Amino acid sequence: MPGVGPDAAPSPVVVVTGGAGWLGQNLVRNLARTRTRVRCLVRSGDEAAVLENVASSVEAVAGDVRDPAAADRLFDGVSRPTVFHAAGVIHPEHGTREFFDVNVGGTQLVLDRARRAETTRFVHVSSNSPFGANPTRTDRFTEDSPYHPYLGYGQSKYEAELLVQRSHDRGDLATVIIRPPWFYGPYQPARQTRFFAAVRRGRFPIPGPGTNRRSLVYTGNLVDGLLRAEVAAAAPGRAYWIADAEPVELRTVLATVRSALQAEGLSVSSRQPHLPASAAAFAATVDRLLQGQGRYVQALHVLGELRDTIACDITRARAELGYEPAIGLLEGMRTSIRWCRQHGAHL
Amino acid sequence: MSGRVLVTGGSGYFGSVLVDQARDRGDQVRIFDLAPPTPRDGVEFVAGDVRDRDALRAACEGVDVVFHNVAQVPLAKDRSLFHSVNVVGTANLLVAARDAGVTKVVHTSSSAVFGIPAANPVREDSPRRPLEDYGRAKLEAELLCEEAVAAGQDVTIIRPRTIMGHGRLGIMAVLFEFVADGAPVFLLGSGANRYQFVHADDLADACLRAGTRPGPSVYDIGAAEFGTMRETLQALVEHADTGSRVRSLPVAPARVAMRGLARLGLAPFAPYHWLLYSESLWFDVRHAEEELGWTPRHSNPAMLIEAYDWFLTHRAELADSGGSHHQSPARLGLLRVLKRLP
Repeated sequence: MPGVGPDAAPSPVVVVTGGAGWLGQNLVRNLARTRTRVRCLVRSGDEAAVLENVASSVEAVAGDVRDPAAADRLFDGVSRPTVFHAAGVIHPEHGTREFFDVNVGGTQLVLDRARRAETTRFVHVSSNSPFGANPTRTDRFTEDSPYHPYLGYGQSKYEAELLVQRSHDRGDLATVIIRPPWFYGPYQPARQTRFFAAVRRGRFPIPGPGTNRRSLVYTGNLVDGLLRAEVAAAAPGRAYWIADAEPVELRTVLATVRSALQAEGLSVSSRQPHLPASAAAFAATVDRLLQGQGRYVQALHVLGELRDTIACDITRARAELGYEPAIGLLEGMRTSIRWCRQHGAHL
Repeated sequence: MSGRVLVTGGSGYFGSVLVDQARDRGDQVRIFDLAPPTPRDGVEFVAGDVRDRDALRAACEGVDVVFHNVAQVPLAKDRSLFHSVNVVGTANLLVAARDAGVTKVVHTSSSAVFGIPAANPVREDSPRRPLEDYGRAKLEAELLCEEAVAAGQDVTIIRPRTIMGHGRLGIMAVLFEFVADGAPVFLLGSGANRYQFVHADDLADACLRAGTRPGPSVYDIGAAEFGTMRETLQALVEHADTGSRVRSLPVAPARVAMRGLARLGLAPFAPYHWLLYSESLWFDVRHAEEELGWTPRHSNPAMLIEAYDWFLTHRAELADSGGSHHQSPARLGLLRVLKRLP
């Protein structure tokens, strides 16, 4: 809906939760250059120091998003900020309870403090997971697709979206929900480095033929989308898929990672192992059973999801936010690989 | 030129050499370290840990130049310490220095960031490909320095080769014990690898010069005169004249043995040692010579002999000494067996 009104001005003061996470580190490095105060919530003093080194505009508060006292410190002395709520747990270490404590409880807490600080816009980072998998391989989620949360993470991110939306509908906050799918990009966690290393050695398996499609999003594109959500006049009260331009088949994702590794001068195995599709189905079943018991095993969860088509359509973000993904899969993967190597990672 | 300087790690092996030189040229020196230094006139001591942000903030107050030397060295063999001290400690220091208005930070890095270089000599812009946890942590610290520079801070990185000089012990004590007792000294492989040391005095000189030069830069620092590992050790055993001879061990089995002994806690080796001592790594030091007007004065053999002679003079007191990894002798452990070989 361009024509709803002119863009709002970006706020000079911003609050970022999950500031030292994969997305957070990319977002904070962008905001640090252009805002006067970037107040971040991080989990530890170690993360705080590394983030504050980025620029003197960055102020990191070490604390837990579940802790009301940490939320108070995060918003202490902050008035009329933009809030980017990027804290969340995707692979919990202590079972599925963490999904709800962090992703739902944490969101409720940050919404409350944001309202009291007269936040001008609340940009909430959600996920594809409240929508599960596409019913067919050619289907794409739009913002009108029905919720169909996938296991504990999906359920928690779904409940968080409802809280955010309610906060908007009640008139508490001008909220925007951003739904990114599978990320890639700099400041990646160790699990993504292991993914690159496994692909390079021909050890990352595809269940079935790999013709299921996946949307991905380069972290730089996602940051662009978040910054558009902060200012676009049409955005308050709305939700948007933010992803790279087109979904690609899983086998193409892996082939592109191999090309990117090669283009960065690494020798790459051309082997692409396949597992029977039933292996992923079995993993998903066991994952579901375990999560029913409150337990979470990352490898099972990842394998279970690999068979699915999880694709989205970014038409609404293009039209209403003026979002345009600038970086494509090959270029973004190459940048990620360069980042790993700059940081001494052994791929 | 004199000023108010802070030396982190100023009680350690290299730090104390730097403190003396800074004081001798007229600087007001403050030391930040876990352990108290040897007392000196006119040197202030602040006890603290680089993992403690507030302690660092206080230590940076009123300081013009910081020389950041705190590090967990390879002998520590503790990945979480490498991260918390070498990486987070550097971030804490950079932030504290920035917020206190310190005009210059000189960060002591390591040649370990290069791993085994594809080509020698190594220059400041050679690719950094560390091979073990210590080198990776030192690289991460360099990246933090670069990020601080990008944000407008004046930070210079100094990368020394293996530091040598009187009082240097650590892993070198193993070598010196063998030489002093006339036992054979072992090379990994033929010893034809060119291996460069740097004298602590030359390194301190480079750091102080870097501290007075405005604008961020990077310098690789090593001796100008150096040869192969075999030549260097040969010069030492000839000087010692104890009947000790230089012998070669096949690289692959020796690495396996070093790793095995280290795992069992029977010998004082870290991955850095078994990966890198048999490899060539030397710096082209022209950048420092040209930009800092610095000249290395000590050759490889001369500084190893100096360290050895110091060891001989102080051997009796060392058994129960304290001090940092590089100021105290590494324990021989099972290596004693090797000493008995003919």
